[in-house]
Amino acid sequence: MSAVLRVPSLLGVGLVWAYRLTFGALFPTTCKYHPSCSEYAVQAVRRHGLARGSVLAGWRLLRCNPWSRGGFDPVR
Amino acid sequence: MMLFTIPIFSQLETVMRHVLLWFHTSLHLPWAWAIVATTVVVRMLLVPLTVKQIHSMQNLQRYAPQMKEIQKKYKHDRQKQNEELMKFYRENQINPAASCLPMLLQLPVFIALYYTLRSFESNFNVGPHADLSFLHFIPSISAHTTTYWGGYVLLVVYVASQMASSYFMMTTADKMQRVLFMVMPVFFVFIIAHFPAGLVLYWVTTNLWTVGQGLITRRLVAKTPAPAPERRSSRTPPKPEAAPAIQGDGAQSRQETTAPAQQPRQVRRKKKRTSRR
Repeated sequence: MSAVLRVPSLLGVGLVWAYRLTFGALFPTTCKYHPSCSEYAVQAVRRHGLARGSVLAGWRLLRCNPWSRGGFDPVR
Repeated sequence: MMLFTIPIFSQLETVMRHVLLWFHTSLHLPWAWAIVATTVVVRMLLVPLTVKQIHSMQNLQRYAPQMKEIQKKYKHDRQKQNEELMKFYRENQINPAASCLPMLLQLPVFIALYYTLRSFESNFNVGPHADLSFLHFIPSISAHTTTYWGGYVLLVVYVASQMASSYFMMTTADKMQRVLFMVMPVFFVFIIAHFPAGLVLYWVTTNLWTVGQGLITRRLVAKTPAPAPERRSSRTPPKPEAAPAIQGDGAQSRQETTAPAQQPRQVRRKKKRTSRR
């Protein structure tokens, strides 16, 4: 992938890191999934690009609720 | 700030402004108490989520010994350790307590409050003599926390409440992580000191709510005898160490007389009591 095309996904990864360093650090929780939601988001955006990666990450966040079972759930 | 121009943030701010204004004008609450009321309402809305979370946390504690074993086994390989733990959850149908969604739902509230407080005076057209104080020791909720001495008191309360709420909401059995969660608020004080006092007030309120919720649910569960040990015996394969805990099957298979058969029952009761405390 050329450098220009990678900009959006880098932006997405940057956003996740911004979250991790601010709110994520201030409100510590452990995720019920592995990889954790934020790690999943980074991997999804890296692999599928910003648009599809964001949708995948959003869907994962919705699944990460108290009623779901959690577990090993890598980005496909 | 650049982030300020993001439309969703200013929309969030508008919503927060209306909520605070409603509490202030309709219920005649002082501004500081309007923040406390907003926090309480948010936490009340999240109760269904957190109750479920606390229940699964208590369920999780029953499997703590086995989970610790797994952690010991894969001490040096974090990745493998996590994967094995997740597998263990699935095998035993454990629903891990921590989930990202309830925590993330609080993020918009937090952001909205942050932006509302940043320009509080202009947002609400309050004059310079408006009462923005809280319990007489914080003169202004929109000023930086450390502007007045009362802010330092608030910060101390924040650290204490954060530690207490981490204690109740902590789901990890990993010692390192537990210590980290407990120590973290001490370091965050330096960042939080630059936030408006009202935001710290939100934080303290939400932490205290968490602590209260934790205390109440613990007390409630302690009173009602849950069928925990039975479930455990039917789901986990009987292990030699777990034998005393399994009352029915274990006693039968050993073909013992009635007197020793009663003994495990007593042992189990004792265990139950000690584990709840």
